Amino acid sequence: MQDKVKEGGGRPWYRVAGSKIWYFFNSLKLTLFVLITLAVVSIFGTVVEQNLPVEEYLQKYGEKWTSFILTARLHDMYHSYWFLALLAMLALNIIVCTFERFPPKWKALLNHKSEKFDARLIEKFANHHTFDVAASPEAVKERVVNAFRKKKYDIITSGGGGEFRLYAWKGRIGRLGSDFTHISLLLILLGAIVGSFAGYKDFRAVFVGGEMSVPKADFRLKLDKFWIDYYDSGQIKQYNSLLTVIEDGKEVMKKQIWVNEPLYYKGIRFYQSSYGTAWNRVSEAEIAVQTKGRTEHGEPMLVKWETLTPLAGTKYSVKLIGYAGDFAYDEGTNQVFSKSAESNNPAIHLEIYDGDKLISTPWLFLKYPGIFPAIPNADEDLVFTGYKGIMYSGISINKDPGTNIVWAGSIVMGFGFILAFFVYHRRVWVVVRESGRSTEVKLGGMINKNNLVFEKELKEIVESISSEKARG
Amino acid sequence: MILSLVFFTFSFVFYLVTSLLYIGHWIFKKKWIGQTATAMAFVALLSTTMILIARAGESGHAPFSNLWESMMLFVWATNAGYLILEYKHKFRAIGAFVMGLEFIAMISASLLPYRFKSAEPLNPALQNKWHWLMDVLRPFGLEKYAIGWLDFHVFTTFIGYAGFAISFGLSLIYLLKERSEANGTKGGIMGAFPEARIIDELSYRAIAWGFPFLATGIVSGAVWANYAWGSYWSWDPKETWSLITWFIYAAYLHARVTRGWRGKRAAYISVAGFLAVIFLYWGVSFVLPGLHAYAS
Repeated sequence: MQDKVKEGGGRPWYRVAGSKIWYFFNSLKLTLFVLITLAVVSIFGTVVEQNLPVEEYLQKYGEKWTSFILTARLHDMYHSYWFLALLAMLALNIIVCTFERFPPKWKALLNHKSEKFDARLIEKFANHHTFDVAASPEAVKERVVNAFRKKKYDIITSGGGGEFRLYAWKGRIGRLGSDFTHISLLLILLGAIVGSFAGYKDFRAVFVGGEMSVPKADFRLKLDKFWIDYYDSGQIKQYNSLLTVIEDGKEVMKKQIWVNEPLYYKGIRFYQSSYGTAWNRVSEAEIAVQTKGRTEHGEPMLVKWETLTPLAGTKYSVKLIGYAGDFAYDEGTNQVFSKSAESNNPAIHLEIYDGDKLISTPWLFLKYPGIFPAIPNADEDLVFTGYKGIMYSGISINKDPGTNIVWAGSIVMGFGFILAFFVYHRRVWVVVRESGRSTEVKLGGMINKNNLVFEKELKEIVESISSEKARG
Repeated sequence: MILSLVFFTFSFVFYLVTSLLYIGHWIFKKKWIGQTATAMAFVALLSTTMILIARAGESGHAPFSNLWESMMLFVWATNAGYLILEYKHKFRAIGAFVMGLEFIAMISASLLPYRFKSAEPLNPALQNKWHWLMDVLRPFGLEKYAIGWLDFHVFTTFIGYAGFAISFGLSLIYLLKERSEANGTKGGIMGAFPEARIIDELSYRAIAWGFPFLATGIVSGAVWANYAWGSYWSWDPKETWSLITWFIYAAYLHARVTRGWRGKRAAYISVAGFLAVIFLYWGVSFVLPGLHAYAS
């Protein structure tokens, strides 16, 4: 145990280190350093475009600079460990400074009346006045009290007879503004952290008429309708989705959402965030019969999604079971998929029945009719001539239990700003003394900020004490 | 569409005349020129108010949605802020710098291509009205005049910009005045200005207005973004630059209040802060891409 105790007044090493760290963070130099550093480095993140693919950095900055950018994590700067460390330092700085400064300040503000005051100090203030008034001490005393009351000061008086003292103050609470502001910043930060750890973000694309699941929740959403409003000029006015909340098989709520108007249910928000034409579903497709080897085909017939439809003039029926807006085939998994959300190469997947017997499951391509025969060993072929797409609405999901903390923080911040910038703590000490036939008034004080206002106010007070008129 | 631009033309002339009058008052130190200048500043403020009102009527929403409209808001807020300052402290010569800055802003606004000036309907992302306010106004049939996050966010931000602009003007005066005081020159061209220490204090007061309003603008933007799109902050260039600006002024306030950085050093930070504001406001729009780019 002995070796763990070092010089620092016989305290164990961890307390010495602890207090060193504490005083490191209890420094306003650190505040200034971190603020200026954050301001300067944040600029890099706006100059170097964030989160591009590596090739683009190589193209823009060359090999040497790219490796620097990647090592210093300038390509994702705001999430890099060193940037977050700077933010954490600022937060620690705020916490330590608040702990260190708030309690003594609070005490001093509460006990300010019992402070001893030396009358000789009055002349040491930047703002002080000494003047004679041709009136009795009693009359002057009354004027002084009235003058400060009129300016909404709180006052206590002491003494009597030949010497009278007064202490006046107002705006004490303004001193707490900076603390409120600092606490509000911490609250907002806390809310953001709570939100990012206890909440989640997700996204679902849901078809009109379809339902979507909600992660970690016991309800589902149904999209009844999606539509776009336009201005008369043709510009887009708003994207809207009509959503129904389904819980335990029952519809419990209906709400129209749009950009800026989310649905809020059981702590989760649902936002209108995108829309489009489905890439893996259509509502119906047009299919026509054609003789193999020919280019002209018969009248197209409408085939609805997943509905067995007999093809007139043939012995076949078809069922539309799949769609890919931008057809692609993965040889590894033997699966068809849409390689983008665009309808670049629309293809449909059919089941073809001869009576009850499934005889073929071809893919047909809108742009390449007849490229693969739809029905093997038959004279007829089927071609895909058109389709009716289906709209989907992109819904962002966000559960953020920190929102209320952020709200509380914002309100505290507003309150803190009002106190910090617009409520000034003023303290004035006055000594009234009989001096021969007139009365001498000594008055001085201080303000925690906005000295110009104080100067003016003191002048007005002095005037109203010395002039006869201000008496009433 | 036309009316707001007509008022703009008038205002342009008013700001030119106002600036010239203030400069005249500064140089010739004649009281009547100063009084006329103040009167003209009021006329210019009124005319700018008319631009905003006319534009709101033309576009059907609060006039804060494109670069030109926001410039008008900036000019309006700076003018109003300056007149309050002048009324409270009775220093007129300062107007030469502040109104000069406003006239420069008017010139820049007039040079904008027409597509930044035209009245456009709001795009879906910007349409927001407060429900509670609509509920309050509905009984009177006024719910379409309800404001929302967009209006609050932009308005508070621009009061912030106006405070910083005024502080910038004052800091420039401070630096000039300080030099002439150091040279022991009394009177002369800088004689019309109040003492350097008073200018320093006024410059600080302007930042004391700008800073909380910018912060309110930033926080309301984040709260709105979370309400409307589900995330507070995405390090969009505008967001980042607003934070940079805010850091600079936060440094100013901490250095001043706790370390006693006044005078020259404070003035230099104020100038640096306003350069950041200019970049935040114009630079980001034209140079860096993102949601806030007026010029997309």
